Parts: sequence; structure tokens; C-alpha cells
Amino acid sequence: MELKEENRNGTTLIEIEHIAKIYRMGTEYVHALRDITLQINKNDYLAIMGPSGSGKSTLMNIIGCLDTPTKGKYLFKEMDVSEMTDNDLASIRNKEIGFVFQTFNLLSRSTSLKNVELPLIYGGFGASARHEKAMKAMENVGLGDRVNHKPNELSGGQRQRVAVARALVTEPSIILADEPTGNLDSKTGLEIMNLFNELWKAGNTIIVVTHEEEVARFAKRIIKLRDGLIEHDSVNHHQRALTEEAQP
Amino acid sequence: MKINEITENIKIAFEAMRVNKLRSLLASLGVVIGISFVILMGWVLSGLDQALEDTFNIIGTDMLYIDKWEWAGGRNWKKMRQRKNITYDQATEFCEKIKSAELAIPNAREFGYKIKYKNEEYQGMSFIGTKWEHSMTPAGATLIGRHFTQFEDDIGSNVIVLGYKVHQALLNDGDPVGQYVKIEGRKFLVIGVIKKQGTMLFDFVDNQCFMPIKAFQSVFGRSGRSVSIAIKAGSIEYLDEIRAESEGLMRQIRNIKPGEENDFSINETKAFESTIEVLRLSVWGVGIGMTVLSFMVGMIGIMNIMFVSVTERTKEIGIRKAVGAKKRTIWIQFIVESAILSFFGAIIAFVGCSALVYLTATFLPKIVPATAFLSPVLPYELLLIASFVSIFVGMLAGVIPAVRAANLDPVEALRREN
Ligand SMILES: Nc1ncnc2c1ncn2[C@@H]1O[C@H](COP(=O)(O)OP(=O)(O)OP(=O)(O)O)[C@@H](O)[C@H]1O
Ligand SMILES: [Mg+2]
Repeated sequence: MELKEENRNGTTLIEIEHIAKIYRMGTEYVHALRDITLQINKNDYLAIMGPSGSGKSTLMNIIGCLDTPTKGKYLFKEMDVSEMTDNDLASIRNKEIGFVFQTFNLLSRSTSLKNVELPLIYGGFGASARHEKAMKAMENVGLGDRVNHKPNELSGGQRQRVAVARALVTEPSIILADEPTGNLDSKTGLEIMNLFNELWKAGNTIIVVTHEEEVARFAKRIIKLRDGLIEHDSVNHHQRALTEEAQP
Repeated sequence: MKINEITENIKIAFEAMRVNKLRSLLASLGVVIGISFVILMGWVLSGLDQALEDTFNIIGTDMLYIDKWEWAGGRNWKKMRQRKNITYDQATEFCEKIKSAELAIPNAREFGYKIKYKNEEYQGMSFIGTKWEHSMTPAGATLIGRHFTQFEDDIGSNVIVLGYKVHQALLNDGDPVGQYVKIEGRKFLVIGVIKKQGTMLFDFVDNQCFMPIKAFQSVFGRSGRSVSIAIKAGSIEYLDEIRAESEGLMRQIRNIKPGEENDFSINETKAFESTIEVLRLSVWGVGIGMTVLSFMVGMIGIMNIMFVSVTERTKEIGIRKAVGAKKRTIWIQFIVESAILSFFGAIIAFVGCSALVYLTATFLPKIVPATAFLSPVLPYELLLIASFVSIFVGMLAGVIPAVRAANLDPVEALRREN
């Protein structure tokens, strides 16, 4: 089998075969995903594009183990996700996946440092280890001086950086970002994309869902969805070079 | 990891309560009332139990008292009034003839006479003429000085042992031993003071003075009153045997024909036990009813606020789940929050009740002396029990909201606006 061959190289992270997600709305069925087959390797940088309602978020949630497919097979690091319990899924989300959302999704009552510590709490880290790791992640995103600010005391771009720090802090296998620049102006959006670029160069695997060509251009590979099907899956030959801001 | 989780959950709970202070207070009001009931009820009952125990210790659980009057008052009072007095001679004869008892002594009582010391005068206590063996009963233990001796008893010396209150009233804590008091114009030498023994039920015990029965008779006369007989069994095991012998002996001394009713009563502490038991049960009955009711209200209040909390924090739950919180973790978070909310109600109740109890026990007995048995501090076992009850009630009230929170679909939850 091809799959095993790939794994021997140690590069395949995610193997999705004929996945479908069907929602039932009363008597009607909504096919959010119809038939998706997809392989994602380590250190991939993937942009998922497509019109609204094409199933981007649904696919993202399934990849992130927030949701489970109705049909098909999903192997994450060779583990069969479709057979996992809620607890297993939670622990995969905790250890292997870092989410970045369009609306940041930070706990508004907690400081940015506490927000970044959150995954570590559920990962069972002690207070001092938590503090240390979270501080490092905050410094990585350039917010070492904003650790005691609450989300409403930060700008949109800064909030999204906190969210990125939270996604990074557990050193996950993959970072999933659903429209991470959707709520940011173009300049701030660019800053966030530069951050992802750096993370990718440092060896992280990244999937970004986006509408915007500008954002997708950063990715190494672009997938286009339409009506729950993959319309295009190609290498991005125009992968954008690092901007000046991101240059060391 | 568990410890980490719990401390984190407690922090989250406190944070949630801090944000919604007023709401938390209102939500826990039912628990405040419920716990207050538990505490106050327990307080009254423990006071009552203490009073009962003290009383038994004075009377002695191994004591029988033969009297014209029946203590429990079950029988017709008028009928008992028509009974002939137990004379001094009858009592003496009884005390000489009874075999099974460890001790049997006559007690003659007079009420309404004054006792004088220098310029002080005191009334409202009773004088009791008894035998020297009275010192061997629980009621005869002295605080200061001594009881009278067999010799003083035999010759009928004018010596007197004062009750605690009498001593307070006449000598105001001064050393009474060796002082002289006057009763009906006769001088008596004070030789001791009886230990303070007063309780709710037997307040009068501190208001009694004891003297040799011969001295008593020379002051108050030999007849015209009913003498009672105190019998010490030595152990409760012998009570039945002694009661049987006493009844037979007394019937014989009083010439009661077979088939006729006793014209005397054999009293014991059991009579009080049953009276107190009724009191206890009624306190419990009312208390339990009220408590259960207010806990129901309390639980509904907390459950309601927890549902609101889950709804308000759906997004937060989604975020927590997205970063790896397990169902169980979320469940625990809300159970802990609910328990702490309820415990917080209990703390309010502790503070409120402590103040109330202190004020009541300090000031109420000045107006209603019968409430002197109430303690000004709450027994700590009661606080412990109330804490556990409140935490249990809180957890119970939190179960359904917590399950709802734990079962939220993370994708749905994250889609929420707040
Ligand atoms: N919980 C749900 N119940 C019913 N239908 C759903 C549910 N979630 C998604 N859908 C439907 O599935 C389809 C795909 O939704 P999805 O959110 O994945 O789209 P998307 O590509 O992310 O769109 P957008 O760009 O607007 O975010 C849509 O038609 C949507 O209405
Ligand atoms: Mg979407």
C-alpha cells in the first residue's frame, strides 16, 4: 500500500480517505462534505480555499478532531480517528493540534498569559512549567511585554498573536487556522501571515482556511473546495517570498 | 494532574462568582436559609441534650423518688392532691426497712420563708431537711466547705449548706463558711455551698438549702407536709427490683388494701426523658420539614443559576474543549462551581447564625430564664456537618447543568457569539 510506503519516510501526518459529513436538518440532509480524499505531510503549508458554504470549516474541524466524519476514514499519525472516544479526541486536540480562529476565541476574563497556559492546564503541566512555556510562546509571537493584558486591552492583531501563541505552546504536530486574518485589516493580517511563515520555516505543519488570494499565496499547496468536493489540489508555484517585515 | 485540575477549577469558580457577586448571593440564598435551619436546629437540640444530661446527673439516673406527686404529671392533679401526705414517720420507717437500695433518705421541704444574713435578706428558695447521707448523692456535692456529718444529723445541729444562688444572693461570693444566717429567728451556722447545678429544667436546684432533718423540724414543725424519699439504687440494673420492693413496702406502710390504687408515686428520670423526647421530636419534625423545604428551594436556585452560567459560557466551554478539555474536566468544573456556590451560602449562614446565636444566648436568658441552656457558640461538629451538607446539596444541584455543559458539541459551542 502506498500509505505504508509514505509512512516509512516518516512524512505523512494525515491520511483522509473518502470522507463525507452529512448534517440532518429535519427531513433534509446537508452534504457539507461529499467525498474528500487528502494526504497531508509533515511541514506542509496548505491553504484551503473555496466559496462560502463549500465545506472549508467543516473539513478543518474534522482534521482538528473537533468533529467526526459521517463516512470515510481518517488516520492521524496512523491512528484511526473515527474509532476514537471523546476523551481520545480531546487529548489529540490538546497535544497534537493548535487552533487559530477567525474570532480569536480567547477567554475574555483571563490575561493573555493565562489564555496561553490553558492547553497546558489540560495537558497536566504544573504551574511553573506552564508559566515558563507560555512566556516563551508569548515571546515567540512578539508579545513578551503584554502577558498581563486581557484580550480587550489588546488590538485585534495582538489578540490573534495570543491565539497563535496558545496554538503553539504545546508544540503540536499541526496548526489549523480558520480565516485567521478575517477580522484583521490587511496590514495586520500580513503580520500574522508572516508569523505563520516563520513557524512553517521552523518546521511546523500549517493549514490555513481563507477566502483571500493574498493569504493563500503564502502557502506551499492550495486546495480549492466546491460543494463539499475537492476541485483543485496543486502546488503553489507563486509561493510568496518573505516580506521585509519578516526578514531577520 | 488531578490536583492541578481541581485547584484550577476552584479558581475558575471563584472568578465566576466574583464577576457575578449579586447573582451568586441570590442563588445561594436558599442554601443560606437551609443551612441556617440545620445549624439553629442542631444548636437548640444540642443545648437541650446538654440540659437533659445535666439534669440526669443531678437527679441521678440510678435514683428513685417516692413522692405524693407524680413528676410526669400523667395522672390527674386533683386526684394526687387528695392523696394523704407521706409523714415523717412513714418515710423513716421506709428508709429503715428497705433492703435492696444502696441508700434511702427522707427529704422534707418548706418554701416561702426568708433567710437573713447581716442586713441581707433572701426569699424564694426552699429549705430541705434531710439525712447526712444526702452528701453521698449527686445533688449533695459541695462547691465550698462541706455537708453535715452523721453526728450533726443525729443531734440535729443548726448547721446549713446553702444552694449556689442563695450564696450568691446573700454573700455575693464572699466566704460563707463559719458565718451565721437566721431562719425564722434561729441562728444557723453555714458549713458549705452546694455546687451550681441549675439547668433549664431544674433551675430551682440552686435555690435550695439543706439542714439536718431534726433541725428542720424544730424550725418548721414536725407535721403538716408530705415528705419525699430519695432512693439510690447504686446501678440502673437494680431499679426494677427496688421499684418492686419499694411499692410493696410503701403499700404496707400506708395500709393500702389489695386491689386499691397506690396513693403515692415512684418517680425516676425516665419521666423526664419521655417529656424531652417529645420536645426533641417536635423540634426535629418542624426543623426537618423546614430544612428539606429550604434545601429544595436552595437546590432549584443553584441549579437555575448553573443553567444560566452554562448558557452564558457556552463559548468558553467550546474554547476549553478545543484546546483539550475532556468531558469529565468540564463536568468537574461546573460541579465544583456549584458546590462552591452552595458552600459560600453555608459560610454566610455560619456567620449569620454565629452572631444570632451569640446574641440570643447572651441576652435572651435575661428575659426568659428558661433559655439559659442555650450555648453562645455553635458546636463545631454542627459546622462540619453543615459544610458537608451544603457541598453535597451544591453538587447535587450542579449535576444536570454540568452534564449539559460537558456534553456540548465543541463546534456548536464555538459558533456562539458570546
Ligand atoms: N451544524 C450544522 N448543521 C447543518 N448544516 C451545517 C452545519 N454546519 C455546517 N453546515 C452546512 O455545511 C455546509 C458547509 O459549511 P462550512 O461552515 O464548512 O462552510 P465554509 O466553507 O466554512 O463557509 P464560510 O466560508 O462561510 O465559512 C454549509 O452549507 C453549512 O450550511
Ligand atoms: Mg467557515
